[in-house]
Amino acid sequence: MTAESAEDVDSADEAAPTPATDPRKSGPPIVTAEGIAHAFDGVTVLEGIDLDVDARSMTALVGPNGSGKTTLLRILAGLLAPADGRVRVRATGQRPLGFLPQEPTFRGRFTVGETIDFYAELLETSVDRDAVLERVGLDVVTGRRVDALSGGMLRLLGLAVAMLGDPPLVVLDEPASGLDPKIRAHVFEAIGRLADEDRAVLLATHHLQGAELADRVLVLDRGTVVADGPPEELLAATGADSLEAAFLESVSEGLAVQAGTEGSE
Amino acid sequence: MSRAGRLLAVVDREVATVLRARAYAVVGLGYAAIVLGLGWQSGGGFVPLTVDLLTPVELLVPPVATAFGYRAVLEDTEGKEIEALRTYPLSRLSYVLGVYLGRLAAVLVVVVTPLLLAALLVPGTAGQGSGVVASHEAAGTVLLYLRFVVLSAVFAAVVLAAAVAVSTVARTGRAALALAVVLVVVLVIGADLGIVASLAGGLVGDEGLALLIAASPASAFRGLVLGTVVSVVASETVRAGSAIANGLGLGAWLVGSLAVAVVTVWPTVGEYAWQVVDPGADEPDD
Repeated sequence: MTAESAEDVDSADEAAPTPATDPRKSGPPIVTAEGIAHAFDGVTVLEGIDLDVDARSMTALVGPNGSGKTTLLRILAGLLAPADGRVRVRATGQRPLGFLPQEPTFRGRFTVGETIDFYAELLETSVDRDAVLERVGLDVVTGRRVDALSGGMLRLLGLAVAMLGDPPLVVLDEPASGLDPKIRAHVFEAIGRLADEDRAVLLATHHLQGAELADRVLVLDRGTVVADGPPEELLAATGADSLEAAFLESVSEGLAVQAGTEGSE
Repeated sequence: MSRAGRLLAVVDREVATVLRARAYAVVGLGYAAIVLGLGWQSGGGFVPLTVDLLTPVELLVPPVATAFGYRAVLEDTEGKEIEALRTYPLSRLSYVLGVYLGRLAAVLVVVVTPLLLAALLVPGTAGQGSGVVASHEAAGTVLLYLRFVVLSAVFAAVVLAAAVAVSTVARTGRAALALAVVLVVVLVIGADLGIVASLAGGLVGDEGLALLIAASPASAFRGLVLGTVVSVVASETVRAGSAIANGLGLGAWLVGSLAVAVVTVWPTVGEYAWQVVDPGADEPDD
């Protein structure tokens, strides 16, 4: 794993040895990003990000609002061209990756089943619709119209659409934002099942409940990676007793620098 | 699923979307009521019916086709569904063509059906006379009228292509509506006013008029109808421009609009910036 712009927390490797069965060590990374930089209207959003995402791993991208999480995910997913840098996705098959946008919507007058059928028709292999919906827990609402789904159900439908065709990489942008705690737990449970199914999951989240499920947490702040490592290493490196405290610790230094800069101007 | 199969899946989805929205039915019924009402009032035969319907069709088809198309792609872009779609093996061309053809199927049914039904009124209204075309005893054949119907369908297809292009360029519903209104105004009166102004200002002479007519979809449509339907039975020479130029003008609008839609529907990401490589392959060189 590389995150050259990050605060190096890999030194904690000795304190928390990686298990021999760690799937992250089982092959080349599925995503390699080098020197990713981006700006909107002259405002730098991402700067010099180098990043590897290992196959069959779950990586959580956390950071404050405006830290560049969504932009980075869209660049990694090939939806947005970076101003600088490049991304390589190592995959085969008809669909190298699936993507769940933030607060996704689908055609409201279609049923859940029809929505899945449409996306399945875009693939080169047949899809067991019922099995897909069962995996995300939507099998009981197959005939329900999309505009009658709750926000949580929409995310689950988005998850189902993202995983159709079994892409080896699934990129999820804030899959649980705006959901109540019960539904959020259900969504993260479904994401956890996704990650168990021989694929890499890369998600941006505000909710550290999701980050706790991850093999690795990247903390993004003002366009750069300020911390990178397994959750337990982040805890060890920051001396925090919770991931939330570790997150605040990771970004507070940046906030302090920012405050100092603003004060001097 | 083959490329054609994926395109058909998008077509099916668009047809189903239109069929399930009452607003489109209301637009279609309104158009049908006007066309059939005018058809009922018309008299004398198929060419008089063509003449009586020409201006209404020229005025009504742009808003009808635009209504069917100006939000077509926006339905996917507004809610970011298009970002999920982009991770499927679906090209920009297949997606845009699928959306266009699905909407076109609906627009053609809406535009053509009332025109064909109006033709059924001709025998019942024959003999009432027409003040516009009176020189031909047979007042045209049904084949001439069908030519008008086909040209109306082509006109609708061209306007719909422009509306789909609007739906790819606009990023919000409000912007799409504003652009759609501009499109309709330009198509219905703007281009004609431009022609008149160019002539009045001496910018173009008679020799350039044919090209100006061809450059405006509505004028080109009118020119084709006048040149290939009305002039066949008219007693006087009908100034309709060049049929070839008018046909090429409509074709250019159709292809140009769809090209704009394909290019703008989503941005391309160059291979240097983002590339899928075989997991077993060595790291590609720059």
